[in-house]
Amino acid sequence: MSRPETTRRGGRIWGVPTILAVLTVWGLLSALLGDRLLWKVIAWIALLIPVVVAAWCSLRRRRA
Amino acid sequence: MTAARKLKRWYVIHTWSSLICTAFLLLICVTGLPLVFRDEINQWLQPHQYQALPADTPMANLDRVAQASRAMYPGQLIASMFIDDDEPQIMVWMVPSFEQMRADPDVMHAIRFDARTAQVLETEGDAAARRKTFIDIMLALHRDLFLDLPGELFMGLMAVLFVLAIVSGVLLYGPFMKKLPFGTVRAERSARVKWLDLHNMLGIVVLAWTLVVGLTGVMNELSTPLFALWQRTDVQTLLASYRGRSVPEQGSLPSVQAAFDTAQRAVPGMRLTSAVFPGNPFGSPYHYLFWSEGDSSLTSRLLTPVLVDANSGQLSAVVGMPWYLRALEVSRPLHFGDYGGMPLKILWALLDLITIVILGSGLYLWIARRRHQSARLARIVTAHEQQAAAGVLR
Repeated sequence: MSRPETTRRGGRIWGVPTILAVLTVWGLLSALLGDRLLWKVIAWIALLIPVVVAAWCSLRRRRA
Repeated sequence: MTAARKLKRWYVIHTWSSLICTAFLLLICVTGLPLVFRDEINQWLQPHQYQALPADTPMANLDRVAQASRAMYPGQLIASMFIDDDEPQIMVWMVPSFEQMRADPDVMHAIRFDARTAQVLETEGDAAARRKTFIDIMLALHRDLFLDLPGELFMGLMAVLFVLAIVSGVLLYGPFMKKLPFGTVRAERSARVKWLDLHNMLGIVVLAWTLVVGLTGVMNELSTPLFALWQRTDVQTLLASYRGRSVPEQGSLPSVQAAFDTAQRAVPGMRLTSAVFPGNPFGSPYHYLFWSEGDSSLTSRLLTPVLVDANSGQLSAVVGMPWYLRALEVSRPLHFGDYGGMPLKILWALLDLITIVILGSGLYLWIARRRHQSARLARIVTAHEQQAAAGVLR
């Protein structure tokens, strides 16, 4: 197997999970280290994204 | 080791680490749900009302609070005072003696004062007399199953298994998803396949949160031994130079308000949240110990002890905390989710609910797989028996 293909497959499997993990950690730290409301709002949005992804992936097939 | 054998090993680790902790983790997740909203629930079940006074009304003199407390329970000792920052209240904790408190901290009982007028608002009996609130029960089930330190260590071990289950689950996720795009849920296949996909998808989506809450949960369960370690090392070193000095009696202590002011001058810009009286097993025999906190989102979680000499009333030390207690202090908000307002609490509850689905589906998958395997085994046995029977007939 050629190397680029392996990388592409790794990206396909781990791309979204990595983005969601980074968003989660970003959200957790943003609310902890930031005192201004803006940092709290960023935290809420960052943490809402995994919740929305979880709900969307769980529910979308049911409609079909 | 071949890749297949490695995978098999992680599968066994994932199965058993989760099976052992699942029942306790479900209990932790279910009781954790109301705990996220503990302040709101407590305020709703036992609303505290306060006399309307201007916001800048200064705090009452602590000596008056101490005097009133001793007058209510003559012969008893003040163990500590807690100055709330959410509500204008001061809690005074009293004990019959420090020996009794050392043997059983449950002998402590509290008087609640209005922080501005020093009026008594409420008196609470000791732990035996006090009725446990809903939140007390949820917290005990969540933290130690009513078993104190052994319970804390046990639940800490369950959290370690939970973390192991998460890590092994991630290692299984890659090979499993080789041929499937992210987020696939094969709902058209059997219930087992559908729940397997849901389990994998939900697990990987909330991975970072479950890992953080799991690890900080382990850390929180270690708080008793970590504080004991600190008391036995740094605190002993600090108090070594005082050994042999006379231990002041509570009746002859210098003014607590004066000591408070001395401590406040040592840490300007910080808020003193509690005063631990000399002789209290959780303090120093020779000092008033004041806990102070910063005023930002992070520094309000980092407590700094300030020691004031209980003989001279002079400042003794502003104590630096060791790294392991700083780590514990940072672990608390990251576990409780109480540092980003109501929206963060709601997100915490939603993520907790998702975790419950992951745990439940994991358990279901184990049962379904066993049933699947035993059905397959039964088919093989039947086929074998039929073959054998056919052989006999022939």
